[in-house]
Amino acid sequence: MLTVAGGPGSDAAHRTRPAGWTLRAVVSAHAAAIAAQPVFAGVYLSGDFDGLRWHALGADVVTSIGYLQVIVAVVVWVRLRQVWPFLATSGVVAAETAQYFAGLDGALWLHLPLGVMTVAALVVLFIAVWLRPLGLRPGARREARDA
Amino acid sequence: MRERDAGRGVTRRRVLGIGGALGLMAATGLSASAALARRPSITGAELRSAVPLPPPFQVPLPLPPVLKPVATSDGTDRYEITQRETTAEILPGVRTPLWTYEGTFPGPTIESRRGRPVTVTHRNTLPVPTVVHLHGGRTPADSDGYPTDLVLPEGWQEPHQQMGHGMQPGHGMRDPRAVVTTLTRSYTFPLDQRPTLLWYHDHRMDFTAPAIWRGLAGLQIVRDDAEDALGLPAGPRELPLMIADRAFAADGGLAYPALDPTLRVRPGVHEPYVAGVLGDVILVNGAPWPVHEVDAARYRLRVLNASNARHYELEAVTDDGRRLDLVQIGADQGLLAAPVTHRLLPVAPAERYDVVVDFSGVPVGGLVRVVNRLGTGRTRDVLAFRVVREAADDSRVPATLSADLPSWRPSDAVRVRDLAFRVGRMGGGHGWLIGGLPFDPARSDLTTGLGDVEVWRLVADVHHPVHLHLAGFRVLSRSGRPPLPHDAGLKDTISLRPAESVEIITRFDGYRGRYLFHCHNAEHEDMGMMANLEIT
Repeated sequence: MLTVAGGPGSDAAHRTRPAGWTLRAVVSAHAAAIAAQPVFAGVYLSGDFDGLRWHALGADVVTSIGYLQVIVAVVVWVRLRQVWPFLATSGVVAAETAQYFAGLDGALWLHLPLGVMTVAALVVLFIAVWLRPLGLRPGARREARDA
Repeated sequence: MRERDAGRGVTRRRVLGIGGALGLMAATGLSASAALARRPSITGAELRSAVPLPPPFQVPLPLPPVLKPVATSDGTDRYEITQRETTAEILPGVRTPLWTYEGTFPGPTIESRRGRPVTVTHRNTLPVPTVVHLHGGRTPADSDGYPTDLVLPEGWQEPHQQMGHGMQPGHGMRDPRAVVTTLTRSYTFPLDQRPTLLWYHDHRMDFTAPAIWRGLAGLQIVRDDAEDALGLPAGPRELPLMIADRAFAADGGLAYPALDPTLRVRPGVHEPYVAGVLGDVILVNGAPWPVHEVDAARYRLRVLNASNARHYELEAVTDDGRRLDLVQIGADQGLLAAPVTHRLLPVAPAERYDVVVDFSGVPVGGLVRVVNRLGTGRTRDVLAFRVVREAADDSRVPATLSADLPSWRPSDAVRVRDLAFRVGRMGGGHGWLIGGLPFDPARSDLTTGLGDVEVWRLVADVHHPVHLHLAGFRVLSRSGRPPLPHDAGLKDTISLRPAESVEIITRFDGYRGRYLFHCHNAEHEDMGMMANLEIT
């Protein structure tokens, strides 16, 4: 069972703020974009030459959203004093950058497993941003009382 | 409240625990991939020799004998070649039975001139049918060595097809258009083509790989006056280098994992070798890791990778670790427009590279080793050159080598084709497919008009050196990016690496008829990876 703090009943300070909603939107777009990457890769390896162009375009889109997500996560960190989205995003973006160059170099031994792991990490992050409250991080005392 | 308090504490620890576990899984997965994957990637499995192998750079480099014509009438040179079994000493003190052209491995070299036709009459005294294909030749279809145009040995009894263990479609299948002869067949090569290094080899349906492995390969050189006038290194300073890997069984014979060692009935290799057969001995012109004595001067090396499946990345390294420039002057189909300098030269099966190396900076007594960066252990060495004397050198490598390369543009193409080269199921077992289909001589795959320009976009799953009969092509792109430096010039074989794609452009001119394109990993070729190209 997941115990989720900050449900509909929590107080105003705990409610998800615009920065939080922006993060949820960016992470959602990011997850949707990355889900298309294995599809394009499969289309390409089935012999469809254009699949590679789609896969390359998808890589540009995914990494661009990733860098945008870093910026939003920094805002969340500063405004809402929640650092975990930034740490998680940094990890995902580092993996995506390595993934990008592994793909360009044809280093499939790295590109395939890292790609699967990056998708999995982004799915976990997607679940986390939608299940956890993205409001102002409450103080320790308040946190205990809320919970 | 207290419960949720406790629950929240557990959740935090759990979050850290879950995060740590996932991190550990990721690290383990990536490390395992790094450790288990072949880096660099290699397609094929290596056979181990069961006899002691000689140290490298002891045996002198043999040069294949040049075949003398039996007649030179009517502007045509006529040759005769007997395909026969013989025994040769490839490894010192080891007797190795071979299948040969004219008793030697490599077979004798045929020296020819552009536009002067050559007729070669082959006589098959081997125990199996054969087919001769002149690789890179601009040859009419009836002399191109279609895989079912067999030359049967005298008294050949058609073996009973043992059905039930995976006779695949295409294998053992009748081809209504096959032109079969008994004992002899004359092949006529007009040689109306750019001067280059060609090679002839067996191309029999289902059994090409083991036949080449047993020794059925030889060189043919086409020259013309324009190339002769360039002043490139020539005579003893022009060396053909046929590089091929092999493995030796305990009895001294060549080891090969054929399902049917008689090579009569059942095609294919044992399961571990379906991706390609690699040997642990590197032969150059039929000698293991040979050494050649050279002047401190420029040499023209005409490199052919005649291996079934092994790729090379060649570099020339001096005693003090310096890498000599490999100045590429020609590709599969002749001279480049201008020289291209490499330090590392990739060579896929059936590709040819015409390369000039300058030994003048190497001190007398120095050894220049040619090594394969893709090899490991003994297969890292290929051959060596011992610089033995200072010498005058009036050769040169002109900045402009040729001006007759075709310049087809993608806008000239009347059609674009996508072709996937990948693994699949064929009959009951693994096969190699083009566009999802295994080879069937009776099926029409691609049809094009004589003179049509086409763009082909090839996609590979693992290494596939794709060879097109009749027509040379140019490389437009590799995986959506510009071609690599060694893709320059006119080619007839293009090396696709895993998950790579290339765009090539060509014009189908010369002759009408039924031709082939196929993967020149010889095992892939025997296991379905060929298709028909009908030029109408």
